[in-house]
Amino acid sequence: MSRTIDLDVAPVRARRRRRSIVDWYRSGGLTAVLFAVPVVLIFLYFSWGPVVRGVLMSVEKTNLIGPALWVGLNNFTYVLTDPGLPQAALNTAYYALLGLVFGFPVPILIAVFVNELRRYGWMYNLLAYLPAVVPPVAGILLWKFFYDPSSGGIFNGILGWFGLGPLPWLNSEAMAMPSLVLYTTWAGAGATAIIYLAAIGGISPELYEAAEIDGAGIWSRLWHVTIPQLRNVIFIMMLLQLIGTFQLFTEPFLFTGGGPNNATQTIMLKIYNYAFVNGDYGAATALSVLLALFLCVLSVVYHFITKRWSPS
Amino acid sequence: MKKRAAKIAVLIASISTLAVLTACSGPGSAGNAGQGKADPNAKVTITVGDEPTADKKADRATFLQHVQEFEKAYPNITVKPSTEYWQAQTFQAKLAGGTLPDTMNVSLTYSRQLIDNGQLPNMTPYLKQIGLLDDLNPLALKNVQDSKGDVYTIPYGLFSVGIAYNRKIFQEAGLDPDKPPATWDEVREYAKTIHDKVPDVAGYAQLTTNNTGGWMLTTMTYSLGGSITDKSGKKASMGRQTRQALQLLHDMRWNDDSMGSQFLYNQDDIRKAFAAGQIGMVLQAPDVYDQATHLYGMNPDDFGEGALPQGNGQHGTLTGGTIAMFNAKATPNQLLAAAKWVKYMNFQQYFDKDLAVENAKSSVASNTAVGTPSLPPVKDSVYQRYLGWIKDEINVPLDHFAGYTSSKLPLIPEPADAQGTYAALDPVVQKVLTDRNADITQLLDQASSTIDRNLAQQR
Repeated sequence: MSRTIDLDVAPVRARRRRRSIVDWYRSGGLTAVLFAVPVVLIFLYFSWGPVVRGVLMSVEKTNLIGPALWVGLNNFTYVLTDPGLPQAALNTAYYALLGLVFGFPVPILIAVFVNELRRYGWMYNLLAYLPAVVPPVAGILLWKFFYDPSSGGIFNGILGWFGLGPLPWLNSEAMAMPSLVLYTTWAGAGATAIIYLAAIGGISPELYEAAEIDGAGIWSRLWHVTIPQLRNVIFIMMLLQLIGTFQLFTEPFLFTGGGPNNATQTIMLKIYNYAFVNGDYGAATALSVLLALFLCVLSVVYHFITKRWSPS
Repeated sequence: MKKRAAKIAVLIASISTLAVLTACSGPGSAGNAGQGKADPNAKVTITVGDEPTADKKADRATFLQHVQEFEKAYPNITVKPSTEYWQAQTFQAKLAGGTLPDTMNVSLTYSRQLIDNGQLPNMTPYLKQIGLLDDLNPLALKNVQDSKGDVYTIPYGLFSVGIAYNRKIFQEAGLDPDKPPATWDEVREYAKTIHDKVPDVAGYAQLTTNNTGGWMLTTMTYSLGGSITDKSGKKASMGRQTRQALQLLHDMRWNDDSMGSQFLYNQDDIRKAFAAGQIGMVLQAPDVYDQATHLYGMNPDDFGEGALPQGNGQHGTLTGGTIAMFNAKATPNQLLAAAKWVKYMNFQQYFDKDLAVENAKSSVASNTAVGTPSLPPVKDSVYQRYLGWIKDEINVPLDHFAGYTSSKLPLIPEPADAQGTYAALDPVVQKVLTDRNADITQLLDQASSTIDRNLAQQR
């Protein structure tokens, strides 16, 4: 069936194509391609080149000086049988969970709060955004002081006024990860709140007016108008946050070095240690490839789940 | 159907283009194929690292002057200085990328790993050619040789780990500041005394993060007569002594409460806390003196350094320091010229009195320590002569280092795959200090199997 159709259509298509190639050439198509080629090649080389090189390295043993040795899936076996991997994976998932439960609602609440203010909204906006301006390294060094486990530490001093503490903060396996989440929420909430604020600005005021006429208070307006209207932005931000949390590195690297007793050891920190402590690039790239695959799968699954929730 | 086939074709084409592109960037073969056949008179250009940055005016001027003098002495060599210096975070990437200078200074702790990974050129022929090999400190050479005795880097600026202590805190606690602890029993006793008598001060503090936890556990194990990896470098060999070290830390932390409340210390943080008078005793090499006094404002009178405390008899201590490393991709002529440069920069002062005095004077002028006790990079006889030349310029209170300098502890090299091994031991130390019920034997078993895995993967 399809063959007959093909036969019928083929000569027409060929004619059309020939004509269009001439047209294309005359209208400067070749010049456009010549201009585009270097850009595309540079993009492929610098953006995708490292990705492909990374995938190749994951099946090699190399010190990047001598010739590389093909080792097949050895690097994958090595990283998958690493006794520290399950804990690093669990820590990463735990961080993602804590981030979602405690960190994720904060910027939404800030955005709603700032939006509700009739006066001085800009000031609260600025205050919320300020932490995002502090470079992460400086912020972390500052918070290291806050987290000082002695009774003279800033947080412990404040707790002391209420007769609480002193808490060990980063020095305890149980508290180290929540402490990191507290910091990242502080550091990241402002920037995310700005995005929510912009999205809230796009919500039609009529909806609020209608809700107010129906006698809705601030909470039911939030629940029945703001959040449903922000749904798509929330889904995207949640996906971005999930991917971000799975790539957690700077905070454990600078705060705890993965300690105490691996309580803040994450997948990214493991990758870093494989490459830059052990000099084992094969293992580092193997774990990176696995993480990338996992994030791809996560994104696809997330897409299908949230598609079902979307209004369309 | 056809559309799909076309798509697949495009995909395959792009992937193969990528593969071709990236193949061009694959690692080249080591450039020093004709190793050892260097012509001392050939015209050659070398890049050298560690040029002081523009904010350190005096140091930079001195450095550039050395470059000029060196080029005058060796007219066939052109030196291109670079401000590249060793940074743990970027070092491996730059080494792999081949962007490091022909020679630069690196921490000694990387020596074994770089040799085992084949990332360094064999320097033996060039060092022989310039006559430096025989004058190097034989104790230090052990750290930079492979099993065949070939030398790969030049070790200098060496030290061994001792115990740094705060003399003022010792006095406040009623301890004799001229008598640092010589045994681990004394360390425990002194730490308890400090904890009882001086408020808000940790009697003794321990490094625990960024591989320093394993580093110091290794040092403690050595001081108790044990080892971390076996002689062949293929297996972990921790035993009773490592358990004893951990038990001691556990008891000081949980029974005596003499270790303060901070248990996540990296090198910088612990040095700051020590300089700020928050720590009574800490395992440190004497090079902490310069940083503590000049950078962090510790009063030089408060600083004291003793030999590494020992247990179960006299055993030894761990060495550390700096090595001049060379680029594996440099040509033989460049390697020879780079070796001459390293000799000129770091060793000439041991053979040239005027230069020795001039260097010392310039250090005093820029307010850096002169005469900090360390392991000499050269033979003892050469070193003593050098100390005689600069004795008027020494600005370090040498009597505060008496406990360290009077000791004759044997020097023990680092374990196999030093950084990887230390990394495996960090969590053990952290666990013991943050969990009262830590099972030391089980923790060491786990760490041993991690170390064995790492060592097997290295081969």
